[in-house]
Amino acid sequence: MSLSPRLAWLTGLVATLSLAAVVHILVVLTIPQNTSHSAYADVANFGPDRQFNLLPDVKPGAEPLPALDPAMKHAACRFTLDDGPVLFTASIPVPFWSIGLFNEAGEAVYSLNNRTSGSDILSMLLLTPEQLSIIRENPPEDLDELIVLEIPATNGFALLRAFVPHSHQSKEVDTALSTAYCGSLS
Amino acid sequence: MNVASKTPTAQVPVHSEAAWYEPDMPAIIAPRRPTPIRSLFAVLLILFVGSLLGIASAYLMIERDRPFLSVTIGPWSAYPEAGTSEADPYSVAIYTRSARIPLASGEGLAISARTDSSGTTLDPACDYRISGQTPTARLWTLTAAGDHGRLLPTLAGRTFLTSRQILRKEDGSFEITASRAPRSGNWLPIGLPLTGETGAGDITAPGGIGSGLMFTFRLYDAPITTGSALDGAVMPVIERLSCL
Repeated sequence: MSLSPRLAWLTGLVATLSLAAVVHILVVLTIPQNTSHSAYADVANFGPDRQFNLLPDVKPGAEPLPALDPAMKHAACRFTLDDGPVLFTASIPVPFWSIGLFNEAGEAVYSLNNRTSGSDILSMLLLTPEQLSIIRENPPEDLDELIVLEIPATNGFALLRAFVPHSHQSKEVDTALSTAYCGSLS
Repeated sequence: MNVASKTPTAQVPVHSEAAWYEPDMPAIIAPRRPTPIRSLFAVLLILFVGSLLGIASAYLMIERDRPFLSVTIGPWSAYPEAGTSEADPYSVAIYTRSARIPLASGEGLAISARTDSSGTTLDPACDYRISGQTPTARLWTLTAAGDHGRLLPTLAGRTFLTSRQILRKEDGSFEITASRAPRSGNWLPIGLPLTGETGAGDITAPGGIGSGLMFTFRLYDAPITTGSALDGAVMPVIERLSCL
């Protein structure tokens, strides 16, 4: 059984396009698994896990991470909840700061800014559902002052952004960001 | 006579290979002679061209650096879903490949323009006027960067303007001039070409990672971080003034 020339050409074209579509979809879907570096991996370059590491200023040619705002200063903390709940505290004397929590894939899990946090001081506790049930049995005194956040992911990072209103406040913001706490609940 | 017996007799040769061919059959259903080598080449060609097309189209989509689910306001576009669990596969691929950390919805929204209001691609050698108003936000910053978001050194040393620095008109609107050369009023410096740079090569050359021009507004603590709220939002107009 063979096809007439015209039908053969048509079949060939349809086969080529179908194959192209399948390959296109496969390539797009497998890129996230095959990237040589991820945001989660890059954040580890700035210092140890479970502490806020101040990122260098966003300057032309020396951007610590892609697409950061040059008007802001950043600090990042990488964590894994397998090592216990993570507490974030910070007090940054600037008109605007925000914190974003991202999972290992770089997807935003939770975020807030200094207005939505309710006070100018950041105090947030991040834990898994199991850790929450343990903490409920023996809650720390200041638990009701914390923003308690259950996340299903165990690995992730937090990025703290602080706006620098004037360059002369740069030192002050640096100090505030590097004294921000990210670590175990003690 | 030995020689004569080997030569064919003078009659119409009966090719046994062609015996299957019935000339009476309509051409469309007439069976054809199998051509294994040709078929093999055809299959290989289909496999090769198909894979090539698939890979090339995927590469172009990803390299274009523009996720699908965008919200556009004139020349400005934002990708509120990118970098969240609702993102489409293209923006997931683009964001993970470039390892960029998006602005999360509780932080703000980044809105970028790669063309002016008339639809012409932005050119770093030109001057632009960005005038009007932004959607409500507690703070915004405006950055001029290369097409792929890469910052470039400028004459002023800064690469951004913020809502706290600019001069506004009485009605709250503003007028910003984006230019390589210093301008009076609200000046947004555009990155200089890195000609004469040694080593890594000129990234600002056409096609380089620092080529082109992109304006990005980052609206912090803005109510419009969700896509639907962006409908009817007003963004500044970008006009090309003059070119070098």
